[in-house]
Amino acid sequence: MTELAQKVLETTTPYLGPASKIFLDRQTKRHMNGVVFDYLEKNHLSDLSRWVLISAGLLIDKNKAKELAEKISTLQAA
Amino acid sequence: MPKIFHSLQTKLTLSFVLLIVVISGMVFFYTFRATKKALKDQLRNELMSTAAAVSAVIDGNAHARLAPGDEGRPEFRKILEQLRAVQGNNPDIKYIYTMRRTQQGPEFVVDADYGTGEDTVKIGQLYQEGLQFPQLLEGFDKTSADYEMTTDQWGVVLSGYSPIRDSLGHPVGLVGIDMDSKDVVARLRVIQNSIYYLIGIAIILAGIIIMMFSQTIIRDIKKLNQTANQISMGTMNIKLDVKRNDEIGELADSFSRMEASLKIMMGQDENHNERVN
Repeated sequence: MTELAQKVLETTTPYLGPASKIFLDRQTKRHMNGVVFDYLEKNHLSDLSRWVLISAGLLIDKNKAKELAEKISTLQAA
Repeated sequence: MPKIFHSLQTKLTLSFVLLIVVISGMVFFYTFRATKKALKDQLRNELMSTAAAVSAVIDGNAHARLAPGDEGRPEFRKILEQLRAVQGNNPDIKYIYTMRRTQQGPEFVVDADYGTGEDTVKIGQLYQEGLQFPQLLEGFDKTSADYEMTTDQWGVVLSGYSPIRDSLGHPVGLVGIDMDSKDVVARLRVIQNSIYYLIGIAIILAGIIIMMFSQTIIRDIKKLNQTANQISMGTMNIKLDVKRNDEIGELADSFSRMEASLKIMMGQDENHNERVN
């Protein structure tokens, strides 16, 4: 797993719990042309952030989902 | 036991009301006792000052010479007038009199009410009950006053005493003053009632506030409970609507995370995503 993927996973876990990895795998695989989450790169982050906003918004509170999406998005600058 | 007694809201409300009752009860007893003591001390001091002032103007030698049947003598009339003048100037004085010690107990010498009614006393009338009042006996040697009010058919009185001395400074009797204490009792009753009302209002207000406060907690706990029940029965398409910044909010966040995790693991999020696509 890339360092970036690890960071995204760590950011997501407080919001979605232990199933975060499954969730992120699905987002990248289904919505980002089959990208494997473990090999996530910086240029994937804006797409991932958009899909996290949509998909996590269906699972948790919309504001929390937005907060998570913004955190993922800011990893791009890190 | 009825279900209402198991409710967190009932327990919280009852605990706080009990707490208020205990605290206000303690405050009440302390305040009331302190006020009662202060009012009584004030009255005692007033009584002792008045008794001392009167005893200072009474001719102790003349007082010592008065014997039974001397009610017509000028010395008796003079002391009688002195006592009546003091009584006339202070409407709170119920009785004012002089006494002296005998082997059988204290006896009356001059009573300001002499000649005004049937039950007035004459020179030499024994007052044996006086032996039961230590402050009265103390009054033959130094100024003193009762610590407790006496309630009888004539009302509530507090008595003060001061020694009458002869020209050599020897105590030859005392001046006794019975002061009407109904004002003090009335003042105490007003204070007592005010404190009762304040405690009552405090209990009602505390009850209302804690009920309102506990209701918001209970409402969110009930929501968490309902959601947990629904999930445990297999219903996953529910969203927890609890927005708080306290411990209940943290519990709701943890619960929400657990719910989201369960949905993801059960693949329920895929259905949502398919709907989004």
